[in-house]
Amino acid sequence: MTALTRRETFLLGAAAMIPASAVEAQETPRRGGVLTVHFATEQRILNPSLQASTGVYIVGGKMQEALLDLDAQGNPVGVLAESWESAPDGLTHVFRLRRGVTWHDGRPFTSADVQFTAMEMWKKILNYGTTLQQFLTEVQTPDPHTAIFKYERPMPQGLLLRALPDLGYISPKHIFETGDIRQNPANTAPVGTGPFKFVQYERGQFIIAERNPNYWRNNQPYLDRVVWRVVGDRAAAAAQLESGQILFSPYSSLAIADLQRLGRDPRFEATTRGNEGNVRTNTLEFNFRNPILADIRVRRAIAHSLNVPFFIENFLGPFAKPGTGPIPSISTDYYPTEAMPQYGFDAALANRLLDEAGHRRGAGGVRFSLRLLPAPWGEDIALWATFIQQSLQQVGIRVEVVRNDAAGFLRSVYNEHAFDLASGWHQYRSDPAVSTTVWYRSGSPRGAPWTNQWGWTDARIDGIIDAAATEVDPVKRKALYADFVRAVQTELPLWMPIEQIFVSVFNRRIRNAGNNPRWASSTWHDTWLAS
Amino acid sequence: MRALKAYLRSPAALIGSVILLAVLVMGLGAAWFYPNDPLGLAGRPLQWPGQNPRFPLGTDPSGRDIAAQIVHGARISLLIGFVATSIAVVIGIAIGSLSGFYGGVVDTVLMRVTEAFQTLPNFLLLLVLVAVFGSTIHTVTIAIGIVSWPPVARLTRAEFMTLRTRDFVQASRVQGLGDAHLILREVLPNALPPVIVYASVVMAVAILLESALAFLQLSDPNVPSWGNLIGLGRNVLRSEWYVSAIPGLAILLTILGVSLVGQGLNDALNPRLASGR
Amino acid sequence: MRILRLALRRLAASLPTLLLILAGMFLLLQLAPGDTVDALMAQMGGGDAALAEDLRRFYGLDVGIAAQLWNYLTRLATLDLGFSAIYGKPVATVILERLPPTILLMVSALSFAFFFGLLLGVLAARRVNRWPDTLISTLGLLFYATPSFWFGLMAIVLFSVYLQWLPAGGFYDITMGYTGLAAVLDIARHLVLPTLTLGLIFLAIYLRIMRASMLEVLSLDFVRTARAKGLTETRVVARHVLRNAMLPMVTLIGLQAGTMLGGSVVVESVFALPGLGRLAYESVVQRDLNTLLGIVFVSALLVIAINFVVDILYARLDPRISAES
Repeated sequence: MTALTRRETFLLGAAAMIPASAVEAQETPRRGGVLTVHFATEQRILNPSLQASTGVYIVGGKMQEALLDLDAQGNPVGVLAESWESAPDGLTHVFRLRRGVTWHDGRPFTSADVQFTAMEMWKKILNYGTTLQQFLTEVQTPDPHTAIFKYERPMPQGLLLRALPDLGYISPKHIFETGDIRQNPANTAPVGTGPFKFVQYERGQFIIAERNPNYWRNNQPYLDRVVWRVVGDRAAAAAQLESGQILFSPYSSLAIADLQRLGRDPRFEATTRGNEGNVRTNTLEFNFRNPILADIRVRRAIAHSLNVPFFIENFLGPFAKPGTGPIPSISTDYYPTEAMPQYGFDAALANRLLDEAGHRRGAGGVRFSLRLLPAPWGEDIALWATFIQQSLQQVGIRVEVVRNDAAGFLRSVYNEHAFDLASGWHQYRSDPAVSTTVWYRSGSPRGAPWTNQWGWTDARIDGIIDAAATEVDPVKRKALYADFVRAVQTELPLWMPIEQIFVSVFNRRIRNAGNNPRWASSTWHDTWLAS
Repeated sequence: MRALKAYLRSPAALIGSVILLAVLVMGLGAAWFYPNDPLGLAGRPLQWPGQNPRFPLGTDPSGRDIAAQIVHGARISLLIGFVATSIAVVIGIAIGSLSGFYGGVVDTVLMRVTEAFQTLPNFLLLLVLVAVFGSTIHTVTIAIGIVSWPPVARLTRAEFMTLRTRDFVQASRVQGLGDAHLILREVLPNALPPVIVYASVVMAVAILLESALAFLQLSDPNVPSWGNLIGLGRNVLRSEWYVSAIPGLAILLTILGVSLVGQGLNDALNPRLASGR
Repeated sequence: MRILRLALRRLAASLPTLLLILAGMFLLLQLAPGDTVDALMAQMGGGDAALAEDLRRFYGLDVGIAAQLWNYLTRLATLDLGFSAIYGKPVATVILERLPPTILLMVSALSFAFFFGLLLGVLAARRVNRWPDTLISTLGLLFYATPSFWFGLMAIVLFSVYLQWLPAGGFYDITMGYTGLAAVLDIARHLVLPTLTLGLIFLAIYLRIMRASMLEVLSLDFVRTARAKGLTETRVVARHVLRNAMLPMVTLIGLQAGTMLGGSVVVESVFALPGLGRLAYESVVQRDLNTLLGIVFVSALLVIAINFVVDILYARLDPRISAES
């Protein structure tokens, strides 16, 4: 051991005083390294042009790219599109495409790929895409670097630009044009333009992608490889994070207790940063076919019986907050500025409302019984269901929790309507028209999951929803959505009392982590690992 | 009487009886020990045992009293074990006795069915049954009974095959007594002792099967079952492992009691084996 | 050659059973709430009704149940297990990928249970009613009463979380890129806890059976003769008793093959092993009929095969029985 000179000691001390963030800012990205990622819910396919779900983006979104993504402030930024403009009538949208981009197999990326993907995949197969692009009539390709989207009805530019980071992934036409698109082997071995190239997929175990040396952003990506480990068990995943076998766990895939525990560990960061574009609300859905629940006093009484802040504080922890309606507070463009009707915890009021509705307490203090069907995903949903059961018992409503697996849950609630109360997640996807208003709009065919299957119809609310979907003026659109929130918070066909942003757990070696609102889904072209 | 004496002489049987009795008392007196709903919200979730004198065994991730759930869970586990075993034993005896008594085509057909059930991994069949018919306590219990009968049928059949040629059966047959009488009155009572002993194994397995289902979150969430508690504890295993550990011990003790009683019965009812020990 | 002929004959005899299982399973699953498209919709996070209809056509769910069953069985006649809805590849491929961990787990659990069951059983019988016997028998009872998944969880807490000796789950460590012996050792390390977990209850059963049958055989005439000839007790046990006392244990292996395969569903779930058991669980949840029927088919074959091997072993051990009968 050599003794340090006084000068060296001074320098070391000074370095130690610089905050970590400042060090990070000064650091130059380091090439190399393997980013290991927790993959909790294995998907049937990895192609984000065909399936819009976080489980697909987390993998396929590194190999395939979309026309747009979101920047650090949450504004649309070009990826495969360089610029865009829209006609004032909202019927035509022009995208100028990036030049010099090649697919992983060396073929050039052109407007023909955009046209093919939009017409054959987004419009016909992609979930939410089929609704979004319902009135898309054609995509013109005057030259290889221009794609012109033509619509039958006005498409608000804001809606399109907000939707495309999720619903705008491009697939290579030359690979998908022959044969059945759904059975194409490239769906599980993606060919894209992204920073990482597909290498290997072992079902139930892992997926490997390696650095794309010909990526269009010069000198990027920094990582050599990305490895996704399939770990279904939450406790096992937490163990692997701690042993360093996994560096990143996205989308609240760990147990709530572990998220909080790892958040206190200096090796990790548990944060909602980088998930601002993935907000969900916990729902409480009422079946209006049950005459008891068709009475608004009963629905309000149920809402008043649930002490949401208590539940959040004791069961969900710091990553959740009380919700105020279907449009979450993170959605700055559409979150209503004025206060909306709310249902605070008030057991006395709940009891009074139930008495007024004619449901007196009978034997054992029970007024009536209800079946509650919780969705089988998410620990918070199970906890919430138990809490509902416990809380409603206090006001004389006996709740039987009916447990189903995913297929059984969707079939029972949205097709057979065999429920009284149901609870799950509503995922907000940047714009209320993408996946929020379908929870309220009447007329969805029986069997469509996450749509209004409550047996409830309100012509006025339907009118507001339709007007907002095609309103081109952003100010008027926002006002329409405020009307919408006020109306549904008054009628309470379903209730969304908890707002949650997904939580990521990062190993602190990961740099540039969470630097955009949909980071886990984004391409990771600038992500690097400190040694 | 002689069998009872033999039973009481065996220390294993005595220990087993004491354990089972304790579980039984817990189950029957659950409402007296913990009159409140064991699934109700009792306090802050995840309090360690002993941390709060109100909760000697702590609270689970849903803020429920673990001690209350253990006590009430005794009733559920015993009930599931007892009812599922009864179902399995009734089906098993019915199929086994018909098969063993008549032989021939009846035997071939029934044994094919039994073989089919035994060839299929029983837990797999249980998973499918629960996925199809739902996770209420009734369906789970019946499903466990349905997957557990084949060994009982085989055992009964073997007993019947040796017994039906015995003199006393032949004598009754000559007297012109009907088949129903022969099966129920003559053969079955003699074939029963090994089946009763085996029932303790079926009961132990039934309790284990329910807890395994619950562990995979496929059992009824509306009853305070020990397996449910283990399944819930899985999410907090790395820090609050006691949530899973406590109900696991309860299951262990109960199965131990059931097996010891079974062993005692075996020694008492099977003097041939008992003398060998 | 003779063995092969025997095997084929055994298989032919099992065909009706197989058919019964498959048809029964197929019909049973028709009663399940929701189909594979519902499960897919859940995975996708939503989609409209036209899309669902389109997907049902794609998965061949738009024809009647009888037609679906007929299609399945005729394809099966040509040994085609069909296409997996979850994995988008032939079921045979999917199952072959998942078979190694399960086979490995079963073989190691069985070996563990058999070896230690034998050893402890013999030890207990040699010291019958003395303290080693009491200790071993008590341990056996405790092992028997331990829920396997609970034992697995507690083993994870102790050996992976606190002591950090063994991995908490998985089949092997991909990021290390081991090859050769290192890879084998890596897999072995990952299989220690699952093997103990799955094998424990069987160890308990074998121990009890072995003890009982040792005691029974030890009291038989030929043992007395051997003792009378002045052979040492160890020789008596090794040469004369063991062989005969092992027979009931061998029979039991055949009877419990199905149970063990069922047990691996839970164990694979606890330890995140990519085996057949977890695949079965996933295909039930995903309503992937073809994959589930394929697993049922393969596991039934496996059980039949194990029973066949057991019979041959039995014939070897017991000269009075020939495998032909």
